[in-house]
Amino acid sequence: MISQFFILSSKGDPLIYKDFRGDSRGRDVAELFYRKLTGLPGEESPVVMHHNDRHFIHIRHSGLYLVATTSENISPFSLLELLSRLATLIGDYCGSLGEGTISRNVALVYELLDEVLDYGYIQTTSTEMLRNFIQTEAVVSKPFSLFDLSSVGLFGAETQQSKVAPSSAASRPVLSSRSDQSQKNEVFLDVVERLSVLIASNGSLLKVDVQGEIRLKSFLPSGSEMRIGLTEEFCVGKSELRGYGPGIRVDEVSFHSSVYLDEFESHRILRLQPPQGELTVMRYQLSDDLPSPLPFRLFPSVQWDRSTGRLHVYLKLRCDLPPKSQALNIRLHLPLPRGVVSLSQELSSPEQKAELGDGALRWDLPRVQGGSQLSGLFQMEVPGLPGPPGQGHSTSAPPLGLGPASLSFELPRHTCSGLQVRFLRLAFTPCGSANPHKWVRHLSHSDAYVIRI
Amino acid sequence: MTDSKYFTTTKKGEIFELKAELNSDKKEKKKEAVKKVIASMTVGKDVSALFPDVVNCMQTDNLELKKLVYLYLMNYAKSQPDMAIMAVNTFVKDCEDPNPLIRALAVRTMGCIRVDKITEYLCEPLRKCLKDEDPYVRKTAAVCVAKLHDINAQLVEDQGFLDTLKDLISDSNPMVVANAVAALSEIAESHPSSNLLDLNPQSINKLLTALNECTEWGQIFILDCLANYTPKDDREAQSICERVTPRLSHANSAVVLSAVKVLMKFMEMLSKDLDYYGTLLKKLAPPLVTLLSAEPELQYVALRNINLIVQKRPEILKHEMKVFFVKYNDPIYVKLEKLDIMIRLASQANIAQVLAELKEYATEVDVDFVRKAVRAIGRCAIKVEQSAERCVSTLLDLIQTKVNYVVQEAIVVIKDIFRKYPNKYESVIATLCENLDSLDEPEARAAMIWIVGEYAERIDNADELLESFLEGFHDESTQVQLQLLTAIVKLFLKKPTETQELVQQVLSLATQDSDNPDLRDRGYIYWRLLSTDPVAAKEVVLAEKPLISEETDLIEPTLLDELICYIGTLASVYHKPPSAFVEGGRGVVHKSLPPRTASNESTESPETAPAGPPSGEQPDVIPAQGDLLGDLLNLDLGPPVSGPPLATSSVQMGAVDLLGGGLDSLIGGPNFVTPPAAAVPANLGAPMGSGLSDLFDLTSGVGTLSGSYVAPKAVWLPAMKAKGLEISGTFTRQVGSISMDLQLTNKALQVMTDFAIQFNRNSFGLAPAAPLQVHAPLSPNQTVEISLPLNTVGSVMKMEPLNNLQVAVKNNIDVFYFSTLYPLHILFVEDGKMERQMFLATWKDIPNENEAQFQIRDCPLNAEAASSRLQSSNIFTVAKRNVEGQDMLYQSLKLTNGIWVLAELRIQPGNPNFMDLELSLKCRAPEVSPHVCQAYETILKN
Repeated sequence: MISQFFILSSKGDPLIYKDFRGDSRGRDVAELFYRKLTGLPGEESPVVMHHNDRHFIHIRHSGLYLVATTSENISPFSLLELLSRLATLIGDYCGSLGEGTISRNVALVYELLDEVLDYGYIQTTSTEMLRNFIQTEAVVSKPFSLFDLSSVGLFGAETQQSKVAPSSAASRPVLSSRSDQSQKNEVFLDVVERLSVLIASNGSLLKVDVQGEIRLKSFLPSGSEMRIGLTEEFCVGKSELRGYGPGIRVDEVSFHSSVYLDEFESHRILRLQPPQGELTVMRYQLSDDLPSPLPFRLFPSVQWDRSTGRLHVYLKLRCDLPPKSQALNIRLHLPLPRGVVSLSQELSSPEQKAELGDGALRWDLPRVQGGSQLSGLFQMEVPGLPGPPGQGHSTSAPPLGLGPASLSFELPRHTCSGLQVRFLRLAFTPCGSANPHKWVRHLSHSDAYVIRI
Repeated sequence: MTDSKYFTTTKKGEIFELKAELNSDKKEKKKEAVKKVIASMTVGKDVSALFPDVVNCMQTDNLELKKLVYLYLMNYAKSQPDMAIMAVNTFVKDCEDPNPLIRALAVRTMGCIRVDKITEYLCEPLRKCLKDEDPYVRKTAAVCVAKLHDINAQLVEDQGFLDTLKDLISDSNPMVVANAVAALSEIAESHPSSNLLDLNPQSINKLLTALNECTEWGQIFILDCLANYTPKDDREAQSICERVTPRLSHANSAVVLSAVKVLMKFMEMLSKDLDYYGTLLKKLAPPLVTLLSAEPELQYVALRNINLIVQKRPEILKHEMKVFFVKYNDPIYVKLEKLDIMIRLASQANIAQVLAELKEYATEVDVDFVRKAVRAIGRCAIKVEQSAERCVSTLLDLIQTKVNYVVQEAIVVIKDIFRKYPNKYESVIATLCENLDSLDEPEARAAMIWIVGEYAERIDNADELLESFLEGFHDESTQVQLQLLTAIVKLFLKKPTETQELVQQVLSLATQDSDNPDLRDRGYIYWRLLSTDPVAAKEVVLAEKPLISEETDLIEPTLLDELICYIGTLASVYHKPPSAFVEGGRGVVHKSLPPRTASNESTESPETAPAGPPSGEQPDVIPAQGDLLGDLLNLDLGPPVSGPPLATSSVQMGAVDLLGGGLDSLIGGPNFVTPPAAAVPANLGAPMGSGLSDLFDLTSGVGTLSGSYVAPKAVWLPAMKAKGLEISGTFTRQVGSISMDLQLTNKALQVMTDFAIQFNRNSFGLAPAAPLQVHAPLSPNQTVEISLPLNTVGSVMKMEPLNNLQVAVKNNIDVFYFSTLYPLHILFVEDGKMERQMFLATWKDIPNENEAQFQIRDCPLNAEAASSRLQSSNIFTVAKRNVEGQDMLYQSLKLTNGIWVLAELRIQPGNPNFMDLELSLKCRAPEVSPHVCQAYETILKN
């Protein structure tokens, strides 16, 4: 059972503080938490902390700390899930989660909390249920303009692609009982995949997995039915076979509870009546068997002259995407041995950039076309580096501390699993004039794309 | 207009302004004012002065305003109880409101006002709301019962709210069911004895039905509640499992974990031969793997749980090694957990892959992670024999890097590899010696010294090396000092001629210049040993060492079983039982896994007890020797003990270490009772000097206390039933012989003669060893006391209960029959002390389902007192250890028919609130366990 819930600003000021059980015994629990948090060394704070009999579980979201405390042996999973749901809920109701929006909407947030939690028991987090009870109206700072493209950061992945869709829509409260309907005929559907790959130094693929989700943000009135058609060759599990080709295969799928699966088996159609707001319609994952080649291959070669302390690193990066696709915002991160002092570089094209920082080499490539190949030659001075003894002066064995290289990138309009949304149909007939706007996007990005050297 | 200005109004008279606004006629203005008040409240300003004004706003039909006022009230009612009472009438009135939202709001708020006075006003409205037609009101009222119970438990019981709450479990609305279950579970936790949540197949069925319908959060309450239920047989367990399994694919990880908990617990009851058992195992893996793709916070919590699951049932995830590979961008806390699980899953099949990974990790930048990776390589070598060679070469490669902390960790683990595979990898010693100078951590130094001492005969300059350490002897940490002392003695015994001076030097350093009792005592013991009998010293110090165990860092089996019951809770994150971190009495009821009940096993007699599944099939989680008796490798290598609490125990420790020094203490636990006879030459005792022999006397002397506990005589046969003959009696056991002490009283008017006695066949073959001898006729009102010797060679028949004894007594008048229950401890034989090794092997060997757990309530004994009391009744303490403030006694006893019973007794000394002892018994014939427990209780409480 949750004893207290509070939201702290990044500086530790309480924005919201709610005591459900009255068992704080006069202690300032929020203060206690913040002191505990800041007293810790390192940047990665433990998920579960405790002070005497009080246990703190927190997440960090948009620079805020959302904290739940308990004095009992309860499930940390439910607390973590709850905290992230609350973050979404507050975002849905107040427009976005941030210090400003919360302090403008204190009463609304408290009202929400009262419905979500009673005596520390979680009651509901479904927006559908909550809208029956919530009375307070959100206070927003400024009027929206659909064409205001200045603020970047579409809901979902943060990507340059976000400019495709009007971004300010994302920071608008979804759930507002009194605003007029005509403005909000919009549905956003994202297929987002995270790719993690591990390639051994000999180039063999050690591990690959893809975690994907289909996310929906709906401004349509709740209960309006929609149907999402997925690639028909979509197979779940190792054994299933569909269509004539190799199929789009994933290992595991889970669906949101509002999804009806009656047409899924036959036509791969998800039917759902989503509540207003954001939800993850489907999550899936797949490991080991990727239908398409990996997007990137890195061919490193390292020359190291011990006598002069000079290190040559030659990196060749090949993009194996189809020629029409491209990757954006590629960054290669290569940890270097300690004490590297200078860098000279020869890059294959002018728009690239490479620099040293935090003991690592950073090589930025704004965009790479499918099928192309790029290279960079880097020379560094490494004074006084101990190396494997008993070998010659010049060696290709990498010195300690070099590597592994990790890549981060975005692949717009590309899914690694091959899954596509065929269509998004709304059964809803708008009462106003305009047809609802539908935005469907596909995106893959790297989670951990590591190449050992 | 924005509300942000609420935070900026700090000017004088703010309260005054608010007051005016609150009393304004305009609703909008009032509303804004209350909002401002709430905003100030949040940032910590004292707005309690406005209490009456805010309460005045309560009487409104505007729902939004009403909610705001209620919000304020909840916060301040405690500091202004009298004012809060003013609002009570409105509350009561609102409970009758036609709008269900307002009714629910009122009852919810009243419950949150934690003022004792409010309770009397609350009862009636609450009663009505519990029966309200609207489910929203009912579910709010259900929670309110829990709130009220927290304020005034007695009132809730008196008013019969608990019964209403129980009825709500059958409510048609799943939300109401979920809240009722949650409330009842919480109330039940504060009254462990009360049978509030009376779970029976019917109510379980209702819960399972509600499970499919209610919200994800309700599902968690219900699943947690299900986990507390013990199905009556394996069939019921299976049917519950079948209905819970679909929850595994839920999107909410809390639901998944609660379902995993239920399944892990009930699986315990399923036979492993069932097809369903295998199916279930397969179904558990994917959801656990899926959890690892969540946010790092959830991943961490999931990994801590997986760590437990892997220890309990490694087969679930044995094919999923790859998902535990560390990602470059994982936070460090996730990395360390993954590493731990990787080692637990390492097997011959995947070791190559694991090793390649570990080698990569060892070159990363994070020091903690690298250290742990190096250690992991060593653990792999010890766990998977086939990989040992590759592990050693990997470690040597790492030593070549000359990175200081890598080298030190590598040396520490290589020492363990030497222990595990003697005479195999000693060729690497030369390489290790090259790095002697770079070692600056005590653990690494101690490990290196151990290696030099152990292999002194192969290292030419061993004396020089050790001498170099000796220079700074006093600056070393205790573990290094102890290790150095032992190593030099070993060296001396191996090369006596050239090292005499060195050994003199170290002995005098240890005994004369040191304040540390451990070091000093060990020094004295070596000194005496060497001076009296060098041959014996050689036998002791250079004795063959037992191999070290394969698995390390395992959680003790009883604790593990308990933690499995707490999967998905904080306990599973801390890996501690809830009693260790939850304050007060709530939630400290120990949970345990249900025993495996295959429906045909229960009727078997002790003689034909099932042998249990073949040991290969058992999950290999029971720690081998070292772990049960304390982390022995760390006994010496751990942090120095500062001021041991008992002088005797510290000397004992020294004495153990004497048997080969430091690591060799594997032979005995920290607090063993008698030294292992085999390792101590018989001629050693006498010349050892008074101090020491006293010690040994002390430890072995406890057993000679005479006789076991004797219960007072009880009337077995009342005079009324036996024509005037009254028999009372008791059983005793003294120095190996059992007797039945009888007292015969003649309450009739005639003289009684010709007494004889016979026993019916019984479970343990008890029979009179001599005829019943009453020398003179028994005249009226005369009493005679007789001690009838018994033996256990009579014929055997299983009785119900097991310790039932049917007796026939004959005299000149008639034959009389009676039956009595004998205490089992009269059957505990004197040689019931098991060897430690034997104990461990047996404990491991007896299948888990034969384990029975009991609680002995209100027994304020400490470990020593309990141990000696039990020993006088032939229950012997084999080992003792202290785990998180609890003393664990490992005990053995043997029955006259040769059945061994092994026991683990858990004592929490110094905790006046918790005087219950916990007893786990393991026996091949589980039927005797309850009676053994009874015997324990009688012995301990008298």
